[in-house]
Amino acid sequence: MISNAISLLIAIPLLGAVLSFFAGTKAKFVALIASLIPLALSLQMYLEFDKTSKIMQFVESYNWVPSLGVKYTVGMDGIGFPLVLLSTIVSVLVIIYSWGETKKPNQYFALLLLNEVGVLGVFTSLDFFLFYIFWEIVLIPMFFLIGSWGGPRKDYAAVKFFIYTHVASLVMLLAIFALYFTYQMPDGSRTFDMLTLLAATADKTIFPTAMLNIIFAGLLLGFLVKMPAFPFHTWLPDAHVEAPTAGSVVLAALLLKMGGYGLFRIILPMLPHVDKAFVTIIAIIAVISIVYGAFMALAQKDIKKLVAYSSVSHMGFVTLGAVAFTWMSVTGAMFQQFSHGIITCVLFMSAGTIQHVVGTRVIADLGGLADRMPKFAVIMMAGFMASLGLPGMSGFVAEFMVLTGSFATLPVYTMIVVFLSVVTTAAYHLWAMQKAMFGPILKKYMNVHEPHAYELFSMAMIIVLSLIFGLQPGLITDIMGTAATQVMEPVMTLTQMGVI
Amino acid sequence: MEFSHYAPLWGEALLTILAVLVVLLGSLMKNSGKLMGYLSAAGLVAALALVASNLTIKPTLFFFDTISVDALSQFFKVVFLVVSLLVVIASMSKYTGKGADEYFALLLFATVGMMVVSSSVDIITLFVGFELASLSTYALAAFDRSKKNLEAAMKYFIFGSVASAFMLFGFSLLYGMAGSTHFVDIAAASLANFGPATLVALLFVIVGFGFKMALVPFHMWAPDTYEGAPPLVSALLAAGSKKMGFVAAFRVILIALVALRMEWYMAFAILAALTMTLGNLAACWQNNVRRILAYSSIAQAGYIAIAFVVIGKAYGLAPTTAFNGIPISAAQLGLAGALLLILGHALMKTGAFIGTAQVSSSVAKGSESDPDDISNYAGLAKRAPITAFCMLIFMFALAGIPPTAGYIGKFVLFSSAIYSGLVWLAVLAILNSALSLVYYLRIISYMYLKEAAGPKIKEQKGYVVALVLTLIGVVWIGVFPEGFINWALQAAAVLLPQ
Repeated sequence: MISNAISLLIAIPLLGAVLSFFAGTKAKFVALIASLIPLALSLQMYLEFDKTSKIMQFVESYNWVPSLGVKYTVGMDGIGFPLVLLSTIVSVLVIIYSWGETKKPNQYFALLLLNEVGVLGVFTSLDFFLFYIFWEIVLIPMFFLIGSWGGPRKDYAAVKFFIYTHVASLVMLLAIFALYFTYQMPDGSRTFDMLTLLAATADKTIFPTAMLNIIFAGLLLGFLVKMPAFPFHTWLPDAHVEAPTAGSVVLAALLLKMGGYGLFRIILPMLPHVDKAFVTIIAIIAVISIVYGAFMALAQKDIKKLVAYSSVSHMGFVTLGAVAFTWMSVTGAMFQQFSHGIITCVLFMSAGTIQHVVGTRVIADLGGLADRMPKFAVIMMAGFMASLGLPGMSGFVAEFMVLTGSFATLPVYTMIVVFLSVVTTAAYHLWAMQKAMFGPILKKYMNVHEPHAYELFSMAMIIVLSLIFGLQPGLITDIMGTAATQVMEPVMTLTQMGVI
Repeated sequence: MEFSHYAPLWGEALLTILAVLVVLLGSLMKNSGKLMGYLSAAGLVAALALVASNLTIKPTLFFFDTISVDALSQFFKVVFLVVSLLVVIASMSKYTGKGADEYFALLLFATVGMMVVSSSVDIITLFVGFELASLSTYALAAFDRSKKNLEAAMKYFIFGSVASAFMLFGFSLLYGMAGSTHFVDIAAASLANFGPATLVALLFVIVGFGFKMALVPFHMWAPDTYEGAPPLVSALLAAGSKKMGFVAAFRVILIALVALRMEWYMAFAILAALTMTLGNLAACWQNNVRRILAYSSIAQAGYIAIAFVVIGKAYGLAPTTAFNGIPISAAQLGLAGALLLILGHALMKTGAFIGTAQVSSSVAKGSESDPDDISNYAGLAKRAPITAFCMLIFMFALAGIPPTAGYIGKFVLFSSAIYSGLVWLAVLAILNSALSLVYYLRIISYMYLKEAAGPKIKEQKGYVVALVLTLIGVVWIGVFPEGFINWALQAAAVLLPQ
C-alpha cells in the first residue's frame, strides 16, 4: 500500500512539467517517464482498490487554510477512480503520439503534463475549493495548447474557449459559494468539504427547495458547458478544429469528462431534493445533444469537426444515463465516460494523422487512402467501428447499458434517441470512413505513406483497450456499479420522486 | 524620555536620515548612482526588519498622542516598504547616472511620508505625512523630464493639490466642530453633536481621499499619470501612494466619523459599484498597457471600497462567522479582506509596472511609437521570457485566479459582503472579476500567442530580481494564506475591536 498515493499521482506530472520545460529537446523523454510513473501507480491502485466498498479510498486530508474551512482533501471512489485510470492511460498515449513534435517541444510536453495534473486533481478533490482550483488550472494549459500550436484561427478559438468555459465555471463558483455560505458548522465556521456540503443539501431547513434550485442550476450549467451539452456546445467545434491533435485528444478524452464527473459526484446526490422539472429539462438537453450532435456530424465537411460533433452526441448518452437514474443507466453512463474517453482518442488521432500526412482534413478532397496506408486504415476503421457502437467493443456495451437502463424510467426519450440517432451515428461514421479511406486512390495521393510507428502504436493500443473493455467490461463496471449503488442508495427512484 | 522608548519608530527615523544622507553624498560624489541605489535598498531592508520586529505591537501612542504604532500601521508600513524596496531594486538598473541620488532620496522621502500617514491619529500629522509623500511623488512623476512626464506630473500635481485643499477644508471644519485635532476627540464630538457641518466635513474628506484612492468619479488623473510618469514611478504611485489614501480613509472615517455610519454606507456602495464596473469596462477598450493597468487599479480600488460599505452596514453587529472557532464579525472580515487585497494588489501592480518598465526600456529613445502600446508586447514570451512569465502570473493574479495573492483578498472581502447581507454587491464584484479577465487575457495572448514584434530584449538584472521577488511573494501569499489572514485580522482588530 503506497501512502499519499493520490498526492504522488498529482505531484509527479507537475514535477515532470517543470522538468520538461527546462529539458529542451529532451522534453519528450522526461514527459514520457513523468506520465508512465502515474500510470504504473494507478494500475497498482487498481489492484489495491476495494471494488465493493462504498466509502472513499486512498483518502488524504490536511488543513490548508483552516480559517476559511479549506482543506487539502483528496480521495477516490468508484466515480472518480475509473476516470483517474483513464487520465493516466490517455496521457501516456498522447505523449507517445506527439513524439515527433518539433515546435517548442519543451513547452508542449510541459503543458500536456500540466493538463494531466489538472484533470487528476479534479477527479480526486473532495474539497470544493481545491476542486475549483484544479478545474481552473485545466483551462490554462489548454488555452496555450490551442493558442500556440493551433490552426489558422487559433487566437480566436483559444480566447473563446477560455472565456466561454471560464464564465461557466464562475457560475459554478457562485453556486459553490452559496453552498459554503449557507451551511454552518456547529461552531459557526464554514467548510468547503464536498461530502459534508452535499449531504447537507438533503436538509430542507438549511437549504429550502427554492434556494437549492438556484444552486443546482448554477452547478448544472458549469458541468453542462464543460461536457458540452446542447445549447452550450458552441465553444467545442472551434476549439477542436483549431487545437493541435494532442490538444484535441486531451480536450475530448479528459476535459469533457470533468463535466460528466460533476454530474455523478455533485448533481445526482442533489437531484432528489430539487424541483422535479429539472429531470425533464436535463433529459431533453441530453436527447437533443445526442440527436443534434449526430445530425451535425453528418453535415460536416471537415473530418475533425465531424469527430467533434460526435463527441457532443456521445456525451449526451452520459447525461441521459445519469438523469434516467436507474442502476443500469447510471453505471452505463459512467462506463460511457470511460469508453468515449478511450475511443475518441483514436478518432482525433486519425484526423490529426490525415491532416499532417495528406495536408487536408476536408472529407470531399480525400479518397482511397487505404491503398497507401493500409495499417493506418485498419486501425482507423476499428476506431470508427468502436465509436459507432460495434458489439464487442466498449462503446456498444456503454450505450447499450444506458439505453436499456433509461428505457425503464424515460421510455419516450429513449425511443427518440434510438430512432433518430442510432442510424445517423452509423451513417456519418461509415460515410466519412468510406469517402476518406476507401474507393480508388486519387492521383495526388500516390506519394502518401504510412504514418510514424509511434502514432500507429498509440492508436493500436487504444483499439486493444476498447476490445478488452468491450469483451470484459466487468473489469471496470464492477467499480462503477458500486458507485452507482452508492449514489442511488440514500435517495429515491424517479418513480418515488414523482417524475414519472 | 529614553531613546529606546521610540524604538517602534526607528524605521521612519532611519529612512529620514538616510534620505538626507543620500542627497548630501550625491552632491559631494560624482557618479554615485549605483552606490545610492544600494544604500537605499539596504536602508529599506533595515527599516523593514525594524518594522517587522514590532509586527503585532499593542497600540502605542507617541508625540502627544499624534502617532500610533499598532498592528494596522505596521501592516501598511510593510506594504509600503516592500513596494519601495522592489521599485528601488528595479530602479538600480535604470537610474545609475547623474540625478540618481535625487531620485532615490525622493523615493525614500515618499516612503517616510506614507509610513507617517499609516501611523497618524491626528489630522495635522496626517496632512503633513500626506503632503510629504505627495510632493515627493509629484517630483518623481516628472523625473525623466520628457514631455509626457511633465504632462503627467502636472496633471497629478493639480489634481493632487485640489484634493489636498478639499481634505484640508474638511479637516478645518472637523477641528472647528470638535476643538481638537485628535481623531478620538473628533469621534466623540461628532457623536455628541451631529449636524449638517459634520456631513459637509465628511463629504470634503471623502472627496479628498477619493482622489488619492482614484475612486470614480475622482479617478480621471490616474490613467494619464500612470501612463505618462516613468514606469517605475507608476509602480510606486499605483501600489504605494494609492494605498496611503486607503489607510488614511480607514483611520479617519472609521475612528472619527463612526457616528455617521448609517449615512454613508449606501453612498460608498454606489461609489464602489461604479468604480469597479467603470474601471473594468474602460480597461477593455485601451491599447496602452499602462492605461490598462491604471484602469485595472481603479477597478481594484472599487473592490477595496467594498470594505467601507461592509463596515458601515455591519459595524457593531454580532459575529456572523467563525475562523478556527473564534467568532468574527462581518465588519472585521471586511477590513481584513481589504487589507489582504491591498497587500496582494500592491505586489501584483508593482510587478506588472516593473514588467512594463522592462518592455519600454527596449524601445529606442526618441522613437515615434508609443513604448507601452500593446503591440509592443507581441511575442514577449520569446523576446523576454522571464518578464513575460512573471507578467503572466501577475495578470492571472490580478484577475483573481487561485492560487495567487489576488484571489485570497477578494475571497475574504467578498465573503464579508455576503455575511453582511450585501449579496448583490458580492455578485457584482465576482462578475466584474470575470469581466476583468477579458483585458488581462488580451495582454497574455499578445505576449504568448502573437509572433514576436521585435528583437530579443536584454532583461536587466535589477528588473529581473525585482520581478522574481514579486512573483515569489504573489504565489507565496496565494498558497499559504493562513498566516496572512490572521495577520490582517489582527490589524483589522485595531480599528474594530470585538
